[in-house]
Amino acid sequence: MKTVRKTLVSLLILAISFSLILAGCSSKESGGSKSSGTKDGEKVVIDFWTFWGSETRRPIIEKIIDDFNKSQDKIEVKHTYLPWGDVWTKNLASIAAGNPADLIINDINAVGHRAQNNQNTNLAKYIEQDPEVKDRFYPELYNASLYEGDPYALPFNTDTRLMFWNKDMFEEAGLDPNTPPKTWAELEEMGKKLDVKKGDKYERIGYLPNQGIGADVWMINADGKGYWDFDAKKAIINDESNVEALTWMKNYYDYYGDKTINSFKAEFGEQTADPFVAGKLAITTDNANFFTKIRDYGDGMNFGVAPLPAMEEGNGNSSWGGGFVAEIPKGAKHPDEAWEFLKYLTDVQAQEYWAVKNFDIVANKEAAEKAAGSAEFSEEGKMVYSEATENMKQTLLTPTPIEAPDYINLIQPEIESVLLGKKSPKEGLDAAQKAVEELVKSNKK
Amino acid sequence: MERIVINKPEITKKYKKQKASSSLQRKEGLQGYLFIAPWIIGFLFFMAGPLLFSLYGSFTNFNITSKMDFIGLDNFKKMFTNDPIIWLSLKNTLYYVVISVPLTTAGAVVLAVLLNQGIKGMRVFRTIFYLPAVLSGVGVYLLWMQLLSPSSGLVNTLLGFVGIDGPAWLTDPSWTKNALIFMKMWSVGGGMLLYLASLQGVSQSLYEAAEIDGATSFRKFFHITLPMITPVIFFDLVTSTIGAFQIFQEAYVMSESGDGGPANSLVFFNLHMWNKAFEVFDMGYAMAMSWVLFIIILVLTVFNLKIAPRWVHYEGEDRK
Repeated sequence: MKTVRKTLVSLLILAISFSLILAGCSSKESGGSKSSGTKDGEKVVIDFWTFWGSETRRPIIEKIIDDFNKSQDKIEVKHTYLPWGDVWTKNLASIAAGNPADLIINDINAVGHRAQNNQNTNLAKYIEQDPEVKDRFYPELYNASLYEGDPYALPFNTDTRLMFWNKDMFEEAGLDPNTPPKTWAELEEMGKKLDVKKGDKYERIGYLPNQGIGADVWMINADGKGYWDFDAKKAIINDESNVEALTWMKNYYDYYGDKTINSFKAEFGEQTADPFVAGKLAITTDNANFFTKIRDYGDGMNFGVAPLPAMEEGNGNSSWGGGFVAEIPKGAKHPDEAWEFLKYLTDVQAQEYWAVKNFDIVANKEAAEKAAGSAEFSEEGKMVYSEATENMKQTLLTPTPIEAPDYINLIQPEIESVLLGKKSPKEGLDAAQKAVEELVKSNKK
Repeated sequence: MERIVINKPEITKKYKKQKASSSLQRKEGLQGYLFIAPWIIGFLFFMAGPLLFSLYGSFTNFNITSKMDFIGLDNFKKMFTNDPIIWLSLKNTLYYVVISVPLTTAGAVVLAVLLNQGIKGMRVFRTIFYLPAVLSGVGVYLLWMQLLSPSSGLVNTLLGFVGIDGPAWLTDPSWTKNALIFMKMWSVGGGMLLYLASLQGVSQSLYEAAEIDGATSFRKFFHITLPMITPVIFFDLVTSTIGAFQIFQEAYVMSESGDGGPANSLVFFNLHMWNKAFEVFDMGYAMAMSWVLFIIILVLTVFNLKIAPRWVHYEGEDRK
């Protein structure tokens, strides 16, 4: 009898613990669907997913949401923060499960991919209702949100690569602090004048082309085209200007030596200090909002900002950018309400607020231009921001080609082997071209 | 007559005892199942389903949101004919397994033997050597990235003291895998603990007998200690081989932007699989890859089990 009771007791405990686990699951479940489905009184609640959870960004986006919620009484936007590493995977899973967010911030370069794979909503009918919306953006950004001619997202923010130089170091090296290099040749020449060597170790280097940007940006800078010809829809990795750009970059490795460059790179990882801010580099090429690092840690550094130098004079100063869009996941419960908020989010007021508070280049042209003159910026801030908005005219985006989604994985290792001296620039890029062509072929099947 | 009278109760007693033991067995069996039920239920709900799904998925072009068409063996064909990186990733993984598993196993055995000496304060040393096994994950990798930094890292600074110009560990493709193996050597404490426990189980009488016969400590180690702990070495070898094949985190964290660079030298099988699954969402292909890895590991483990009787000694076992 006693043993039977024991068995019963242990069974009971098991049953209870399982029902608890299940209850835990189910209550979570219902909580989740509630947030994006039901109406709260008269208002429709929409769920907006971002990865902006940091101390600086979270209050900014939540202020924008709050302003929108107060501006009308039909829609209530709820902000859901998900960490950078999870947000898009979670988005996919929730789309597959048929219970996605109503609006999400996502990568601008893969809008077409997501459209092709039924992950976001075609916005053509909304744009038809509000045709003026499409004119608020930098055209390059809006075009990156199109798939087969229809918009599937609206651009939110962007970035552009600029050249920063340390004026004091220029003066010290006998260069005119107000005349930055205008061509690759000048950049190389001035850079070498700015080097400071102690024994056989470099205390300071004038310029390194792999800081802040990579070979791909120099290839775009050379002729306005990088790895992919978007008109002809084919890979042009080994075209002449690309080989030339990589050869130019490789020359730096030969001049300074792998070891110097690699230690520079390893020592100044993303997490730790930046060599330009630390005074170890006289010229750098980086994102426009690199300015915030100079502002916060540069100790009053006297610097200038200009577009990337041209390959040759008159060759154009093409730069490269990326950014994020806001889009309505496929299967969202309230696309109409999400569109209303999407319009607000990309309108001048919200965009200018984001631009000024974050020192971030926004997709809305008018907002960006207004922000450039904002009283909240210092003189230097204004200088960098207006240079950046000016630079948007020559900033190109590289949306991931539909035909070769992971082409970068095939190209990057080849570029690395070239820079390590294992292959010549031509050989490396030829190999990359061939590999990407194979990938395109196999994806077509 | 008397005999029968005496025997009768004995028989019934024996019979009863048997019956009782079988019902006890049944009850114990039931309780046993009850106790493993959480695992079984968890396995059925959370593992068996996804496992079967991934087996089916490996024959499809599943990409989570738009496609799930049966494409037969296409994924496997693509793997063998049209994916140069997979071979490189397999080569990288094999290199890592072949070098790191013997090294860490030998390292753990040697460390355990050293820490098995009856010296005062040994517990402190054991704790210190075991600590790295407790600290694991991304934090440790970031720490090692700083230690392995080419010119200011502690490792190369120390090498510099003895006149060695250390390599650019994580930026020179011919050193990256060695850097990871080196890092792994630091955390042999987990294996060490297993060996330490088994070393303490080796009967002192064996050593005493050997000493009487005049055996040196060298011979004692190779003819008593090592054979006696072979079951644990075997266990460690099998599990760490499986673990080494699944290397992912280290490469993902310690290579620039997680792509397995420089020059693909840290692209391991699982990293490539992860890229296929979560970078380009070619889930079907990634599922097929995971089954290929499963088969590779299965074959190797079966091979290990087959050759085990040749070198693994179990105490009290008859050897032919």
